[in-house]
Amino acid sequence: MEEEQRPRKILVVDDEPDLQPLVLQRMRRGIRRGRYQFLFAGNGVEALELLRAVGDIDMVVSDINMPQMDGLTLLEQIPSVDPNIRAIIVSAYGDMANIRTAMNRGAFDFITKPIDFTDLQVTIDRTLEHLAEWRSVLRARDQLVSVQNELSIATQIQQSVLPTRLPQGIGFHLHASMEAARNVGGDFYDTIPLEDGRVGLAIADVSDKGVPAALFMMASYTLLRAAARTPDAGSTMQKVNDLLTETNVVGMFVTMFYAVFDPVSGSLTYANGGHNPPVLLHEDGTTEQLPLTGGVALGVMSDLDYNVKSINLTPGDTVFLYTDGIPEAINGDDEEFGMERLCTTLTAARDRNAHDLTDYVLKDLQAFVGDTPQFDDITCLTLRFTGAVQ
Amino acid sequence: MNVNTETSGNSLVVALDGRVDSSNAAEFNATIENATADSDLGVVLDCENLQYISSAGLRVILTTAKSLQSSQRKFVICTLSNPIQDIFVISGFDQIINIQGSRAEALATMEA
Repeated sequence: MEEEQRPRKILVVDDEPDLQPLVLQRMRRGIRRGRYQFLFAGNGVEALELLRAVGDIDMVVSDINMPQMDGLTLLEQIPSVDPNIRAIIVSAYGDMANIRTAMNRGAFDFITKPIDFTDLQVTIDRTLEHLAEWRSVLRARDQLVSVQNELSIATQIQQSVLPTRLPQGIGFHLHASMEAARNVGGDFYDTIPLEDGRVGLAIADVSDKGVPAALFMMASYTLLRAAARTPDAGSTMQKVNDLLTETNVVGMFVTMFYAVFDPVSGSLTYANGGHNPPVLLHEDGTTEQLPLTGGVALGVMSDLDYNVKSINLTPGDTVFLYTDGIPEAINGDDEEFGMERLCTTLTAARDRNAHDLTDYVLKDLQAFVGDTPQFDDITCLTLRFTGAVQ
Repeated sequence: MNVNTETSGNSLVVALDGRVDSSNAAEFNATIENATADSDLGVVLDCENLQYISSAGLRVILTTAKSLQSSQRKFVICTLSNPIQDIFVISGFDQIINIQGSRAEALATMEA
């Protein structure tokens, strides 16, 4: 804002010494009101020295024919000092060749000799106005760049909190993947080692996108980590829900599926808070969606109970946890990938380990989607139960 | 997305058409906020021609439900297609929002 207050610095370049008092006299009102401040140079070389020494000159009004360095050469040199300085060229009336050359070398405008000072002032004001607009565009661009940088850092932070080394043990394999959409999203997965060798498995999707979703995702992720100390999936969800709801003033919510897996017995005890039901893939290739437990998405309402269900996995079973970015991914014809296709793909990948199966599904999804931009985060967590070695 | 509002009996009926996702959820929010702020009637959200709603859209519905509830106004959603119904069931929102099969049924619960 203070920049608006300071007088605009205008460098007048002319080898005619009479011009200086004339300019100061005719422009005295603007000078007195603090709108302009004039500096003077006798040729291009002096002008460049002044531009460099003063540092914040806004515009140049330059004659063409001068000793040492003429105005057309000066025009070429100005951008090396500051590309945002604007120049007006003063030329003899009818000297179209030089005026064209000057404009081609980046002059903003021209006036003709003998100088009409009313015209000079109008031209100066118009140039300064353009300069102010140009600077505000530059500022907006800089702000945009800095916001984009912050967003990409936010995405990196999100990615970096997610575990990359998942718990491994006898009888099971885990693999996970998250591909964030261009916007900062709100998906996450987690694998939490619990007592007695059990493992907490979570997949979640925060409503909406952008920075608010990213913050809510971080809160949900942290609260889940803290609440997962109890081995009961239902009370873990209840605790996360109550804590999230307590502090949720913006009406966001997160859908979350949370399961406690016991690799010794193969039991999977889970509670669902409004999330898409994971797919259970059997060794023979048949698939089923895990029955819902009727829980509400987290962060909506406090004091809710989260019922649990339990299944016993058979060696060879795979549980595929995912977010709606997978079934709702669309191709160029606006068709959704859909649950049916997901199940078909899983069946085709039934003999693969957790890592290869995840890759297979993501490649198949990519082939389906083609060049259509990704709108939502694509996240999945695969558990393959092999059973204890005999 | 299209939002049409009309008064029917003692209710404000908001008909929601098309797709609601994160690209237009803010617009949907502003529209429904304006429509409900101008009145103190209960609100029926008719989703007969709603083709898709993302979680960003669900969030708007949830916020609307909460704000109406806080001013003791009724809020009913009706005429959900099967895929949209599934979204409400999976998210568990069918347990906290009154959902009716048709506009007539929704209006009947408003009279009660």
